[in-house]
Amino acid sequence: MTTSPIETAALPRPEKSPWQIKNPKQTRALILASVAPAIVVLAITFGFQIDGTIAMLTMFLPLQVLSAGAVGFRIYGKKGIADAGLVIFTIFFSSLVGVLLMSVLYSVITEGFKALSPQFISQNNVYITPTTSLEYGGVGHAVLGTFIIVGITTAVTVPLGIALAVYLTETTSKTKGAVRTLVQAMSGLPSVVAGLFVYAALITSGFSKYAGWLGSLALIPLMLPTVTRVAEEALRLVPVELRNGALALGAPAYRSFLSVTLPAAKSGIITAVLLGIARIIGETAPLLLTVNYANSTVLNPLESMAALPTYIYQNLDSANDTSLQRAWGAALVILIFVAIIFSAARMATRSASVKKKPKKVAKND
Amino acid sequence: MSVASDDLTKPVPPKRRLALKPHLIQDKIFYGIARSAAVGAVLIVALILGYLLFMSWDTLAQQGPAFVFGSQWSAADPENLVFQIGPMLWGSLLIAVNGMLLAVPMAIAAAYFIEFLANSKIAKIATMVVDLLAAIPSIVIGLWGVGVFTPVAAHWAKLLNENLGFIPFFNNTSGSFVNSPFIAGWVVAVMIVPIITSVTREIFSQLDRDVINAATALGASRSSTFMKVILPTSSGGIVGGALLGLGRALGETVAIFFVLNLSFEINWVEVVESRGGSIASMIVSFFGAASPEEVKALIAAGLVLFVITLLINWLAAVIVAKAQPWRK
Repeated sequence: MTTSPIETAALPRPEKSPWQIKNPKQTRALILASVAPAIVVLAITFGFQIDGTIAMLTMFLPLQVLSAGAVGFRIYGKKGIADAGLVIFTIFFSSLVGVLLMSVLYSVITEGFKALSPQFISQNNVYITPTTSLEYGGVGHAVLGTFIIVGITTAVTVPLGIALAVYLTETTSKTKGAVRTLVQAMSGLPSVVAGLFVYAALITSGFSKYAGWLGSLALIPLMLPTVTRVAEEALRLVPVELRNGALALGAPAYRSFLSVTLPAAKSGIITAVLLGIARIIGETAPLLLTVNYANSTVLNPLESMAALPTYIYQNLDSANDTSLQRAWGAALVILIFVAIIFSAARMATRSASVKKKPKKVAKND
Repeated sequence: MSVASDDLTKPVPPKRRLALKPHLIQDKIFYGIARSAAVGAVLIVALILGYLLFMSWDTLAQQGPAFVFGSQWSAADPENLVFQIGPMLWGSLLIAVNGMLLAVPMAIAAAYFIEFLANSKIAKIATMVVDLLAAIPSIVIGLWGVGVFTPVAAHWAKLLNENLGFIPFFNNTSGSFVNSPFIAGWVVAVMIVPIITSVTREIFSQLDRDVINAATALGASRSSTFMKVILPTSSGGIVGGALLGLGRALGETVAIFFVLNLSFEINWVEVVESRGGSIASMIVSFFGAASPEEVKALIAAGLVLFVITLLINWLAAVIVAKAQPWRK
């Protein structure tokens, strides 16, 4: 009863797997269904001068759903109709999201580049009125101010956040759940309320005038939840066997953490810091309430300083074409910073995952 | 037997102490730092909440429940201060709901597209762009709202009013379509769509592919897989993500400040009318010229906003924890 190898070889091997075979008729119908409604509606819209939005919603969408439903019914029978509806729904809303988000990116980049120039990056805002031409003045003071304010916040929040993550992962305390809930509650603090808190507690009470360090103070509760959550996630990903191994070899807990757990979670911790910075770099309301704005280059955090978000606010508020242009330029600068932070975070996680792979192979052996 | 009896005669060794608590001084310092960080975090939250309560007590006691429901704000007469945030609170909620109605379907569709329809290259790029956009500062979205989006959205609002004006939502008597809750809702939606999409996509990607393949093998179509398998298993996570976005929408300040006309005349549902309210924007626009009493009233308004976002966040945490019990 054994089949001889010759007989098996004689069987013709199908060129394609059954699920790869496509009926050319079906392909044609699909293409027709996705192109025809667009052409018809475009023709009607231009022919009768109908408003584009109305044509889109009242003619194109129903027509597209109908044609896709018809083709779906032809190919798959009854269940094809619902599928067509789902696909059209998904593609319509996804493209809406895509158009809106791309519009944001595109306008920031194109409008921003019009304002961008070497002196826009380096100069400050002294003697600049809303109508001064773009050849003078820039965001240099605001970039430095943002660096200082965000730098102070980072210097305070990162150690605190990592220590908090250590508390949540490395200790066996019973209050862990409550502390985690509280930190998550902090992430619900509206940024303007954080600013108002510092404003009322330290400025209206006469303790201090508007100052950069107050802005840093207001940003701490906004950055802390992000840093803590991501760092906790990173520490949790370190296998418990690693820690136990270190402890079993006689290492005290702090050595086990500093020389085993922390290096293993390094990339995650870096990501936590970067995401935290990205979270607060564009916060405007707290800075408005606590730092206000300065036009000259101020490097002393005990004084009122400039920052990129407040610079945008200031220029947007004066509602003039040139100042609007400056606001776009500053928005582009922020966007570039956020993009740099993000690619740094991606690089941190990628290099970590490359390192992890050989380890896994060794374990399997 | 003799061996056993030998064993019995041996004295019982003293019980060894299990080192459950750190005894090294360095370990004590290590855990001490962690514990003090926890205490610090608790203190920060307690300090903020306590101070807000302390400062807003006068206003809340003086104005009573009318503080939340009334619609008058006058600090001109120091003898008769009236601080009521009804229109602002309602406006905040109206804008947030408006934004959610727009953002949630868009976000679910985009996440479904990235995770199940697009090929892997497009999906990778789209994921990256969405994650990047989730970190765009809100003032940049506000700038886009003022400079680019307002004319477009005003046009849409006008079309809605002309064609569907008989529905109370799209009623407009002033003839001005800019600075309306409708536009603010769109701006907020654009702000939170990347956040909700990113959470939803993450949850879709964690779904068990075997279950989806099993559904397909049993003859389920794309739509029935979506309705009966994907949505039920991930609904908790999606709700959590959406509530996270809602929290952000309620606390949004400057983006709304520039695209909304703040008005203390309550605007119930007429979203395309050119007046609305927002607690956060109100705080930013009033604090500069505020008297000490008014600052206290603003703090009370901020406290109300904080309590609402706290409730929403707490709800989100509960729902997500219930939906994903494996993430303790």
